[in-house]
Amino acid sequence: MTEIQAMLSIKDLRTTVGSRKVLDGLSLQVSAGEVHAIMGPNGSGKSTLAFTLAGRPGYDVTGGSVSYCGEDLLSLEPEARAQRGLFLGFQYPVEIPGVNNVYLLKAALNAARKQRGLPEVDALEFLMLVREKMKIMQMDESFLSRGVNEGFSGGEKKRNEILQMLVLEPSLAVLDEADSGLDIDALKVVANGVNALRAPDRAIVLVTHYQRLLDYIKPDRVHVLACGKIIRSGGPELARELEARGYDWLLIEAA
Amino acid sequence: MSALPATMPTPRDEHWKYANLRGLARARFEPSVSPPAETVARITAALPKPLEGFERIVLIDGFVSSVSSTPSAFTTTSPISIAKLNADRYFLELNRRLRSDTLRLAVARHQKRSVEVVVVSLGTSHPAIEIALAEGAELSLIERHLPLSADATVINLVIFAVVGVHAQFELSRIVQASPKAQHVETIELRLCEGSASKFFQLTTGAALSRTTAFAAHDGRDSSLEWHAAALGEGTQSHDAFVHVAHSAPSAKTLQQFRGIAADRSRVSFTGHMRVDTNAPYAQCDQSLKCLLTGSEAEADVRPQLEILTDAVRASHGATVGKLDPDMLFYLLSRGIPEESASSLLKWAFVSDVLRRLSNPAIRAEIEYSLERVLPGAVAARSGT
Ligand SMILES: Nc1ncnc2c1ncn2[C@@H]1O[C@H](COP(=O)(O)OP(=O)(O)OP(=O)(O)O)[C@@H](O)[C@H]1O
Ligand SMILES: [Mg+2]
Repeated sequence: MTEIQAMLSIKDLRTTVGSRKVLDGLSLQVSAGEVHAIMGPNGSGKSTLAFTLAGRPGYDVTGGSVSYCGEDLLSLEPEARAQRGLFLGFQYPVEIPGVNNVYLLKAALNAARKQRGLPEVDALEFLMLVREKMKIMQMDESFLSRGVNEGFSGGEKKRNEILQMLVLEPSLAVLDEADSGLDIDALKVVANGVNALRAPDRAIVLVTHYQRLLDYIKPDRVHVLACGKIIRSGGPELARELEARGYDWLLIEAA
Repeated sequence: MSALPATMPTPRDEHWKYANLRGLARARFEPSVSPPAETVARITAALPKPLEGFERIVLIDGFVSSVSSTPSAFTTTSPISIAKLNADRYFLELNRRLRSDTLRLAVARHQKRSVEVVVVSLGTSHPAIEIALAEGAELSLIERHLPLSADATVINLVIFAVVGVHAQFELSRIVQASPKAQHVETIELRLCEGSASKFFQLTTGAALSRTTAFAAHDGRDSSLEWHAAALGEGTQSHDAFVHVAHSAPSAKTLQQFRGIAADRSRVSFTGHMRVDTNAPYAQCDQSLKCLLTGSEAEADVRPQLEILTDAVRASHGATVGKLDPDMLFYLLSRGIPEESASSLLKWAFVSDVLRRLSNPAIRAEIEYSLERVLPGAVAARSGT
């Protein structure tokens, strides 16, 4: 894999949150068509990586570079990153009472279309698209008219994140613990949703704690994030090894 | 002109601490001049189409200039003011001294009316509206101010309403004066036994606006909902003082205010509720919130509860805060441009007040006015 081909190329990334250095020289390459899983202990910086990629204020990059589809990702505003096909699935999706769920979907889709020089989506076409994606996510249409994530259960919020992803069809989806808090059936639904997005021109980065999700979404690569960097990378077998052995042995090796 | 029985308020007057008194002192309150017939014709032709099902009355510079149906006969002497303090009566007295017409709206026993009052100001005006609802009467009144003149107009408006026994009153106001206007208003409501009143106000216009309002629960079991929103931008200042007195048992008041202060604007709201010794079993709920979005903006919300009897159920909350950064980032992360994202969140903030509007025509009208200051927001609610 050459660097030119990688859709996402992170080199020596350093991020400070508050006064804490969280990412400390993280490097990662993700090519189109691939699914990468990132695992690692609590507090190791997985969400920090996701937020840094999405451009959340307060996540200060003090070093390194990120190129995405040939562009300097870090120089773009958060909304511009999203409009260029980067999608962040939140570990804790935010409730926004008073802003309509379906409106957000439509406004987000139109923002991305505008970036690509396309006209606003036709109302009927949009409705059909949303209905189709809701079917995949087994979500009731009543969710559309509610406030964004307002009063949604933990599992419903996660489904709603994936629904947004399916409607937006991003080139790169970074899903932060899409599986946490899901019941067994919901896990399959979410995995189905993610698999529906897999395509040769798209890439997916899954942050997860459990091997279980990876039974449904087969990753090409598995990475361990600890001490602010990727300390080990491997194939799907690495996730199974982690499930059996935990992280201690790796941390000792890394130290 | 002989001296008024009241004097111009000063910052020492308790109810005027946050008012822009310097701005008010500069306003020239002159008697209004009856607009020439061609002006009236021109304005009448330019008005938006009337709300369906509503009688329309147009006030131009305080003169009743067109009435789509004759207001019911109604004779009364001007009601006695609830306001006790001299300072609070100053603009009221000034209005009485300088007003031209008094628009009298009466609804007879068990009758129902829907009225739209369009207020147009071109120069100086002292509009006066006196409302009486007889027993069991229903009135839905929408009052809209149309900013047809870009000049520095001066308005000193007075509304008096007596809501009769078991009557139902809904007053929705859109105060959207021209950007240079100075706007003062005094509103008084007397609420009789078993009556139900709902008040809505959206203030977006005027360089400076001040609302002084008094409501009195004179009869038992009366209820009042007071919902107000004010949006300030540039160097606008919007200030309101609302006093609600419970003087009879088992009355209910719900008061909500949502203010947004952008740029260098000032937005303030004081909600004073008093429950007298002879008004037990009252219920008072108050929620006053302001959003500061400008780095040089100022916002004050002051809840004041004065409870002189036992057996009162009361709740109140008051906050001044900024746009929630987590909500904002969530929207940005979906590709929504920053300006639209903050517009959406402001809309969501104000919608606490709007969702109480039961009449769809009035709601649409208020949303439309809000759309001018928060573009794209209406669609966000309806999801179209
Ligand atoms: N504002 C802040 N100030 C200081 N430290 C912070 C701040 N925000 C996050 N951190 C710290 O950064 C570290 C990394 O947090 P992050 O959320 O990225 O971990 P994570 O790997 O996603 O953990 P989890 O598996 O529990 O979700 C944590 O130790 C956290 O406490
Ligand atoms: Mg995390």
